[in-house]
Amino acid sequence: MERTPEIFEKIERYLTNQLSPEELIDFEREVANTPELQKEIETHKALHDILNDQEAIEVKEKLIKVSKEVKKEESSFARSIFSSPLRIAATIVVLLGVGTLVWNTLDTTDELRDLYVAHYTPFPAEDNTRGEINTALQNIMDDYNKGAYDSVVTALEKNTNLVDQKELEVYLGVSYLNTNQEQKAVLQFENISANSRYYEASRWYLSLAYLKLKNTKKTTQILEEIIQYNGVYKDNAARLLRALKE
Amino acid sequence: MSNIDDQNIIEGIVAGDEAVFKAFYKKNRKYIRQYILKNSGNEDDVEDVFQDAFVFIYQKLKTGSLELRSPLSTYFYGVSKNIWRNRLRKNRKLVVTEEIPEDTEIIEASIVQEIEDKEREHVYRKHFVHLSDACRQVLQLLFEGKSMKQISEITGYAEGYTRKKKFECKKHLIEMIEQDPIYQELKATSENK
Repeated sequence: MERTPEIFEKIERYLTNQLSPEELIDFEREVANTPELQKEIETHKALHDILNDQEAIEVKEKLIKVSKEVKKEESSFARSIFSSPLRIAATIVVLLGVGTLVWNTLDTTDELRDLYVAHYTPFPAEDNTRGEINTALQNIMDDYNKGAYDSVVTALEKNTNLVDQKELEVYLGVSYLNTNQEQKAVLQFENISANSRYYEASRWYLSLAYLKLKNTKKTTQILEEIIQYNGVYKDNAARLLRALKE
Repeated sequence: MSNIDDQNIIEGIVAGDEAVFKAFYKKNRKYIRQYILKNSGNEDDVEDVFQDAFVFIYQKLKTGSLELRSPLSTYFYGVSKNIWRNRLRKNRKLVVTEEIPEDTEIIEASIVQEIEDKEREHVYRKHFVHLSDACRQVLQLLFEGKSMKQISEITGYAEGYTRKKKFECKKHLIEMIEQDPIYQELKATSENK
């Protein structure tokens, strides 16, 4: 049944008892012979009954507002921890390789490498079966799934607009991690917003990037944050932290 | 949490006190989040379930039909878990074979049914709040029983435009609702009964 302004008007007048007696008889006859119209009336009735409760909607709206405020506060807090000028400066120093004092230079390269290998698993690619995926993106996803990380890096560095899609931020970071570009991986994961649904995953892979860089101090610090965050990576973080301390 | 604290929170919720909403959200979201993320959910699911459980409790508090035999947070957690389990079942994604947990003592069987019955309401509200401000205003006035003339006077739109706007907004809302997987599952269930 095609939805038209006329049908909507008639249903609304029917539901609010505004049809004249003649119109009512005609409409009820039409309804009796048209199951689709019966269903349409039920839909409109439910809509009017449920959404007439303005208080429930206001409560929901207030919660949406509260949720945005809390996330903003958490985000500023995270930024103040992770992105203060000093931290950025420290990171740059570290990345340039001149800040040797900042590093925890353990001579246990092999042990750290073994730890990394034991705890790293690829970030799973999401199942994009929604049909809206374009060819370029599909090729990147295929390469990522095949472990062709060099190709993923090349494609995403060329198509930076694609990286705006949040999961691709993580794919790019993981691909850097797998092509021995740990410094780039660190910057990539650090840039993922605390508001992103991939934030926790990005912190986990950031801890692995630092582990690969043999920066056990930063690895430990981030693992502790993940444990505190108490999400899905908590157990992984706790296991790696335990192993690191042993 | 003491009974006095709970009483203050309940009064704040019933009064629609945003500061109380915020404190409650900050305190309880992490528990809901942990449960949902561990059971096939994502961050959007966490927000949806939190809002729906909260609205459910709000409505019960407003009507005086909430008999708390446990701290409010525990009850809220129980309601949230029930909502999420219902959704997993409806999406046929329920792989957790967990026994009905400790919240059977907190959430009575009749409430469990009531939570399930409210699913349709949650879907309708979820899409309504995503409409544009203009659409929400026009439809809200329509649902309050206002005539097109009254709506035109309140909104300042010409009556012809108000009619057009009302139709477009309502049609869009119905289409969004009908595309919602939970709605489709609810519809299929009711047709099979």
